[in-house]
Amino acid sequence: MLKFIAKRLLSGAITIWFIATATFFAMHAVPGDPLTQEKAMSPAVRSQLEARYGLDKPLIEQYQLFLNNMLHGDFGISFTQENRKVNDIIREHFPISAILGITAVLIALVGGVSAGTVAAYYRNRWPDRMVMVAVIAAISVPGFVIAGLAQLTIVAMNNAAGKTLLPVAGWGGVNHIWVPALVLGLGTMAYLSRIMRASMLEVLSADFNMAAKAKGVHGWRLFWHHQLRNAVLPVVTELGPTIAGVTTGGFVVELIFAIPGLGRYFVQAVQQLDYTVIMGTTVFYGAFLVLVVVVVDISYGLIDPRIRLHSGGGGR
Amino acid sequence: MELSVFRFARRTWASDELEHIAPLPLPKMATPAVVVSTLVVIALLLFVSVGPLLWRQDPSQQWLSQISAGPSAPHSVRLILNSGPWQPPAGEPPQTLMVHEANTEFVRLQWPKLDGVKRYRVYRASAHKAGLGLAIAETDKPYYQDQLQLSYQIYRYTIADADTGLLLLARDVRPDAAMSLFEAQLQGLVPVGKVNGRQQWLTLPGHPLGTDALGRDILARLMAGGRTSLFVGVVAPLLYITFGCIFGAIAGLAGGWVDQLAMRFVDFVVALPFLLFMILFRVAFGIGPGENGITPLIVAMLMLSWPGSARLIRGQVLALRSQPFVEAAKLAGVGTSRTILRHMLPNVLPMILVAFSFAIPQAIFTEAFLSFIGMGVSPPTTSWGALCNDGIKTLLSHPRQLLLPALFISVSVLAFNLLGDALRDATDRRAGVAKA
Amino acid sequence: MNLLELERLQVSIGPVQAVRDVSLSLAPGECRALVGESGCGKSVTAMSLLNLMPAAAKTNALRWDFAGRDMRQLSERDWRQLRGNEIAMIFQNPMTALDPTQTIGSQIAEPLRIHKGLSKREALNKAIALLERLAIANPAQRAGQYPFEFSGGMLQRAMIAMAVVCEPQLLIADEPTTALDVTVQAEVLSILRELRESSGTAMLFITHDLGVVAEIADSVSVMYAGQTVETGSLIDVFSHEAHPYTQALKRAVPDMANPQPLQAIGGTPPDLRHPPTGCGFAARCAERMAICDQLPPNFACKSRAEHYSRCWLWHPEHPARWREAEQ
Repeated sequence: MLKFIAKRLLSGAITIWFIATATFFAMHAVPGDPLTQEKAMSPAVRSQLEARYGLDKPLIEQYQLFLNNMLHGDFGISFTQENRKVNDIIREHFPISAILGITAVLIALVGGVSAGTVAAYYRNRWPDRMVMVAVIAAISVPGFVIAGLAQLTIVAMNNAAGKTLLPVAGWGGVNHIWVPALVLGLGTMAYLSRIMRASMLEVLSADFNMAAKAKGVHGWRLFWHHQLRNAVLPVVTELGPTIAGVTTGGFVVELIFAIPGLGRYFVQAVQQLDYTVIMGTTVFYGAFLVLVVVVVDISYGLIDPRIRLHSGGGGR
Repeated sequence: MELSVFRFARRTWASDELEHIAPLPLPKMATPAVVVSTLVVIALLLFVSVGPLLWRQDPSQQWLSQISAGPSAPHSVRLILNSGPWQPPAGEPPQTLMVHEANTEFVRLQWPKLDGVKRYRVYRASAHKAGLGLAIAETDKPYYQDQLQLSYQIYRYTIADADTGLLLLARDVRPDAAMSLFEAQLQGLVPVGKVNGRQQWLTLPGHPLGTDALGRDILARLMAGGRTSLFVGVVAPLLYITFGCIFGAIAGLAGGWVDQLAMRFVDFVVALPFLLFMILFRVAFGIGPGENGITPLIVAMLMLSWPGSARLIRGQVLALRSQPFVEAAKLAGVGTSRTILRHMLPNVLPMILVAFSFAIPQAIFTEAFLSFIGMGVSPPTTSWGALCNDGIKTLLSHPRQLLLPALFISVSVLAFNLLGDALRDATDRRAGVAKA
Repeated sequence: MNLLELERLQVSIGPVQAVRDVSLSLAPGECRALVGESGCGKSVTAMSLLNLMPAAAKTNALRWDFAGRDMRQLSERDWRQLRGNEIAMIFQNPMTALDPTQTIGSQIAEPLRIHKGLSKREALNKAIALLERLAIANPAQRAGQYPFEFSGGMLQRAMIAMAVVCEPQLLIADEPTTALDVTVQAEVLSILRELRESSGTAMLFITHDLGVVAEIADSVSVMYAGQTVETGSLIDVFSHEAHPYTQALKRAVPDMANPQPLQAIGGTPPDLRHPPTGCGFAARCAERMAICDQLPPNFACKSRAEHYSRCWLWHPEHPARWREAEQ
């Protein structure tokens, strides 16, 4: 098990290095240099700024400096927001994104697993049909449209009630979380319920399910010990990429619902071409996602004994 | 020796419940869902290709007089030549609040001089809303010309005493649809320099789906946007799947360390967070002035999306390489390129097709997402995602501007997904038959 | 009194009449083999005996008694208490019939926890003891392992342990040796024989392998196209085979003492969505008569004592029977 974790962590570290390198060279491939975006400035100011952002050094040296800083968790200073450290931006706004994302993933996981299970249990009957239609709808409608529709619904609801039942946008109380999180998790939920339905169908027709029934196992025990535990495995493997989807989906939801998360900052930085913020958040998000995938891999090992015990050879 | 019927042989079943049912029909390709989605795809392609020929409005033409207007038929508007400062004609002052002229360029009001009032305040409100509305002017003269962003609706004007706040007079006004000469010339409705002095009526084109927040025809924009969306949706997958296939095929055919190295590289590219790097690459490529931003978008997609099909094809090539019929072909002295073309390609082609049909909705989605956050195509080029981006700003007042392009995205994604499902089922069945 | 009396069982799954007429009886402690080619309805019969058919299946029987109870009257609740407790089942493929995410020990202990109300500890100890009895080395450690860590033969032993842990009165073994290597087959068979001798459990042994039948069974029922076509003791069915299908089946098995070229049975079994009006085997039968196509031989013709064959040849008015009677 330890060997398995160590292996995953090592490959994760290499991936993060690759992401950082790709980010660095992508940003330095930008035509012109970052400072040309600013208004006309005197050569003195310009060279001072270049020195401040380390742009006067040769590329390789800049790269070394960048990697070194990244290793120390220092992402530099924002271009557009004077004297604001990228670290501070991340520290301040990432928790908001994280809360939103975790809620969304939980909603998606619980909703997807239950919807998929119900659909499989009632295969080709009306609950199944309903779930599948909802799944197709949720997969075909872009997240920002769902977000817009949700806002419209809230407004209509508030108007009908004559008071504010749910806030339309913003961040603060618990009530601000539910709707954006649901919107954010909806596509994932649809995707997961599709996987869950297929794997649950497989489990329901599996020999071991029959054998368990033949032993007299029934009801909750049958569901919990034998069916769910086996059927949820493919869902867990999909969780890593899923969280990546929720993270990037968060950009749009944060934008539309005016939530001051890191995603919104990232989109703003991109629109304003704030290079350090772009680089910092990309590497941060990249590292975060790689870490999530590693954690998911390890937790998959905890559920599936075949992987846990074949620490060296098995795996993906 | 033959025995005839026995007299006592009767059916003695416990029950005759087992009914006779026709054999199950074989699953067919042409399910209703497939037929409908094929028709939808054809309709969408016609909409973006033939549509602009039939609906000849310029998608970027702004009708300032029709901002965020609802669906409308072609209608006439009055051409206003002179909308400068105005004074009421000399003569007897009116008994009450009088409207000299009301159109969407100006509303000219005059009221009797009232004793003891030094300054008048003019309020304007939409007639269907309660309250006084906006205080638009204060004046010491008993007349006023309102030129403040008038639109085609009923207004209620209220005159009040500016000093005491006492309400004096009120009246509902229905302005005529009108257009200033300047705007008419701007839109090319009136040739410059050929104005006769009389008031004219102009016929404006209708907008079957209304106009957006900048007064542009939504139908024309949907057609133009669809071109971009579908173009990106088809061309980007075509490119990256082709590239991925070539990459995967080379890795699979070469084998050994080339294969190992290639697949390690694939692993890393797969690990890059897709949308983050889409954005990053879009920024890195930049958009020069006058560019529409489609090429950087496609190149970024190409750089990030190819590994999936590379893995698929490599796996297939490796599996096929050890298949008896390929080895037999090799033993029979068939050349490598011929083996690939005649024996391997027909076997991987269905898979590539399935991958392609699922990549199209994916690419449409990606483009929509990027355009939505403003990292996609750049104006004046538009796409369904960019239209959604425009539409979300007026969501609460005019939901139509978001919902229409969203509908087009959803319908096309749905249609392509259903087609992909059907195609996959068909190839799965083929593979199943081949196995059995 | 017989432990199990089953008469005219019918099971239809949608349009398929998988079981059309199966009659079985089992005395306590008896081992009956149910023989037939794949797709003849053996496994459906086995599943029906535990009432484990999917909801879409329709089951019907003229008589269905088990240990003095009319099984047609049981509620799902009664069935749950019965399964694994009084009737247990060994599945064909132990690689897929054990839950991959649960330890072997907990899976064997599960019936005890459900039916006997034992605590986790007690149940596990009993499971370990049983594993030891089934000659699994290091049972305490093995009980903590997962199915993927077991070999095929050991898995089938675990499967058997799971089935017999509650000491059921009837054990249904659905092709328990088919998925195993030949050497492991012999091992599993000897374990089953031993168990039967020590516990006196009645067994319904489903197989298509006549060699295995000869090794373990007391009596044999032969199934074809959803019907039991011949029923009798092992000697009856093997040495005095009465039904043309059984005869053909025997000709298709190599005989070491008297080597002859093997004869495959020509043709294919009937489509059970549209079972033939007459005898199910008529189309492939060498001794087919006109009546065979017209009417099913749906009566049990007595040939020898307790030996039944569903065939017009054994009808009392058939000329061959006249001659027999005269002798």
